[in-house]
Amino acid sequence: MNDTWREQAPEPGPPRTFEFPDVRSATLRNGMRVVHARHGRMPVVSAHVVIDAGAAGEPADRGGLAQLAASALHAGTTQRDGSRLAWDLERLGVQLNTDVTWDAIEASITPPAAQLADALVVLADVVRNAAFPAGEVERLREEQLAEILQRMKEPRALANDVVGRCFYAPGVPYARALIGSTASVTAITAEDLRAFHRERFTPASCTLVLVGDIDMETATTLAERCFGDWSGAPAPTPEFDVAPLNDGPSVHIVDRIGAVQSELRIGHIGVRRSHPDYFPLIVMNTIFGGAFTSRLNMNLRETNGFTYGVRSAYTFRRGPGPFLVSTAVGTDVTVRAVEEVLKESDRLRTAGVTDEELANARDYLVGILPLQMQTTEQLAGALADLVTYGLSLDYYDHYRERIAAVTADDVRRVARAHLRPDEFAIIVVGDAASVRDGIQELQHGALHDVKPNGEAA
Amino acid sequence: MIRIPIERYRLDNGMEIVLSREDAAPVVALNIWYGVGSRNERAGRTGFAHLFEHMMFQGSKHVPEMGHFALIEKAGGSLNGSTWLDRTNYFETLPANYLELGLWLESDRLGWLLPAMTQEKLDNQRDVVKNERRWRVDNQPYGDWDERIQALMYPPDHPYHHSVIGSMEDLDAASLEDVEQFFRTYYAPNNAVLTLCGDFDPTQARELIAQYFGQLPRGPDIPPIPGRTRLEPVMGGEVRELVHQDVSLPRVYVTYRIPPFGGAEYYTALVTSYILGYGKAALLYRSLVREQQVAQDVVAYAFPIVVGASMLVTWATARPGRSAADVERAFTEQIERLRDVDDADVQRAVNLLATERLNELQRLDERADQLSMYTQLFDEPERINTEVDRIRAVTPQHVRDFAARYLGTDNRAVLTYVPREVGA
Repeated sequence: MNDTWREQAPEPGPPRTFEFPDVRSATLRNGMRVVHARHGRMPVVSAHVVIDAGAAGEPADRGGLAQLAASALHAGTTQRDGSRLAWDLERLGVQLNTDVTWDAIEASITPPAAQLADALVVLADVVRNAAFPAGEVERLREEQLAEILQRMKEPRALANDVVGRCFYAPGVPYARALIGSTASVTAITAEDLRAFHRERFTPASCTLVLVGDIDMETATTLAERCFGDWSGAPAPTPEFDVAPLNDGPSVHIVDRIGAVQSELRIGHIGVRRSHPDYFPLIVMNTIFGGAFTSRLNMNLRETNGFTYGVRSAYTFRRGPGPFLVSTAVGTDVTVRAVEEVLKESDRLRTAGVTDEELANARDYLVGILPLQMQTTEQLAGALADLVTYGLSLDYYDHYRERIAAVTADDVRRVARAHLRPDEFAIIVVGDAASVRDGIQELQHGALHDVKPNGEAA
Repeated sequence: MIRIPIERYRLDNGMEIVLSREDAAPVVALNIWYGVGSRNERAGRTGFAHLFEHMMFQGSKHVPEMGHFALIEKAGGSLNGSTWLDRTNYFETLPANYLELGLWLESDRLGWLLPAMTQEKLDNQRDVVKNERRWRVDNQPYGDWDERIQALMYPPDHPYHHSVIGSMEDLDAASLEDVEQFFRTYYAPNNAVLTLCGDFDPTQARELIAQYFGQLPRGPDIPPIPGRTRLEPVMGGEVRELVHQDVSLPRVYVTYRIPPFGGAEYYTALVTSYILGYGKAALLYRSLVREQQVAQDVVAYAFPIVVGASMLVTWATARPGRSAADVERAFTEQIERLRDVDDADVQRAVNLLATERLNELQRLDERADQLSMYTQLFDEPERINTEVDRIRAVTPQHVRDFAARYLGTDNRAVLTYVPREVGA
């Protein structure tokens, strides 16, 4: 059989451009914003309330408060106790999700379109009238403390929770774990949560994002009905300075005796979401460790078989979040894997990227966008991020051209500026006895033994 | 109700094709289910179906090593594969104008995988998979629960007795000859379903599918699943295992034998799992977590597997200061309450399931995977549209009868993890 025509990959057909849905917004008289986009594949609507109440604004001695506030949104309101709240939504087939980041709390539902009006009344009750009853707060605080205990035994969570302490100077909010510490969570009271809610949950600090099988007029009418008679002053945006724990290189080991793998977190403080290098950085990171075919994954997984997978990422927040290479490698190849990460970092800084790598990364980032916006939930989440980071609502209309404008020189410049292996903190969660000597031979700065998050330092 | 469109036909070589068009976005999802999973593995080769799945991404005669990932990422697509008890699937979601690329890649590895296989590639992927096992199982608290539960729930000669990831020893034993034999046995058009979902021209799609897959020869008939595949409807006893592990909190897994995925009673099991464990008004959350505060979390779900019997899986993690025995006692009490479950609890679960289906079917890759699944397992892709009717048909009386028949202590495995004493 003649199959020579198979020898080349087929050429793509003419592209049909992805049109990002029109995004519109309105502001209610009380200052609350409504953001709307139509997304008509299924008769459902995602409703996200984005609240400017992230963990960066929690009191410094109450680490974990924002997370507890988010989970205690399930604990009931002045109108409904916790059981009734869950029942009133779930009988409609709707689940309430609450989530917290350093920059926002989100409360969201995705009901069938026919149930939206009823479900939104309950969501509004949660956001406006959360009551934080003492008994339920006590229970949820104990659960959060127990989760801290569990994360001490779970290597991925353990590694993620110590990154902040190894990167940022004490006192910087990002030095804490989002979940808090045993001491800081133990100190949180129901009154702390009520005060946080009074101050930070106000109309001008909240945006309602409605995406799905709904028009703009209905969206604003519903928003007005559920939130229009709510009043309150805007909350101040938290201000803080960010400084590193160490200026130079450092190594941090969390001992897990007998661990068969080492969880590695390698990096340093990155840049804020509003940084002008955002687009060159995401292109650079795609090539470095942001895609399956990235340099790091090809090296550590496909060439060396050290790992099931490795990723790098800049975590963009209002302030400079961490840049991190994350992977889990066999205990016996831990040091070799670290060396390869350092080597690939140097190579990117000194030699830059090829034109082909650059074109592939740009095409990947542009092409993947519609795949990441398939559901009302995905689109609402993306719009919520635009709100949190103060980006314009037509952001995605210009996304393609901004990616396309990134040049090889840009990539090399941002690699030199924002990928600095001589400042890397190398965090190893693994069997210290097996890796300590080899890591020390790398001469990558002082070695620190680190206790898990829940333990006293 | 929503109706997902379905066109279905079969190639002369036995390959099943399902087309489902929807042009809301210029995106197309390809999905192939092969009727082979860990259930088909022979003794001494546990984990092989999954290791083989990794080899499918190592290039084929006309596709260079890593070409599969490189070409699809360059196109702005996403891709992966996964192996489970009953099947192995491969899928990519692409900008619509790259449909032909996806067909070329999938057909090349089905037609011409073996010329590209080398010992070096096998050894590399063996290392990757061993690290996957360490990552998922060996270096993870409670990480071996499913392996232990399968061993407790299914007799040693049943194909579900062993886990998908397999043992390190068996992974070490896998050879290139195993790769060749497995490929020739199971990777044939007559053991595959190809589904396209999304934005494509149906006439052109049929032509391209004929061009890329039509010339591949039919393979030999697929051998029967090895071992004993029939099981009694209930176990007739309770099996227990106690594990001391480096965990912070005790956790109790309780699993029941239930009828296989597909029949009416399976949907009763599915609804029951939602009554028990899905959402904060669920029976177990309400009682064990909110009221009694004996558990930190609760989970319940049904396994969609088809050989002999499936499982209703539940677990609960003890709150600090509470014992595994406390959790198990409170759990068993709630299971007994199902025998006179309220109508409202059943309606809540049915409504949640119906909403969840609307949400998940927004994704083209999910639609494609389900269409492949219903075709491969039941020869009935239309189930994607009628599944919700099966869920809505479950009545409170069904749940009560189901609980009385299947959720007794004579039909379950109890796997308990407790923290290992330091220095023990």
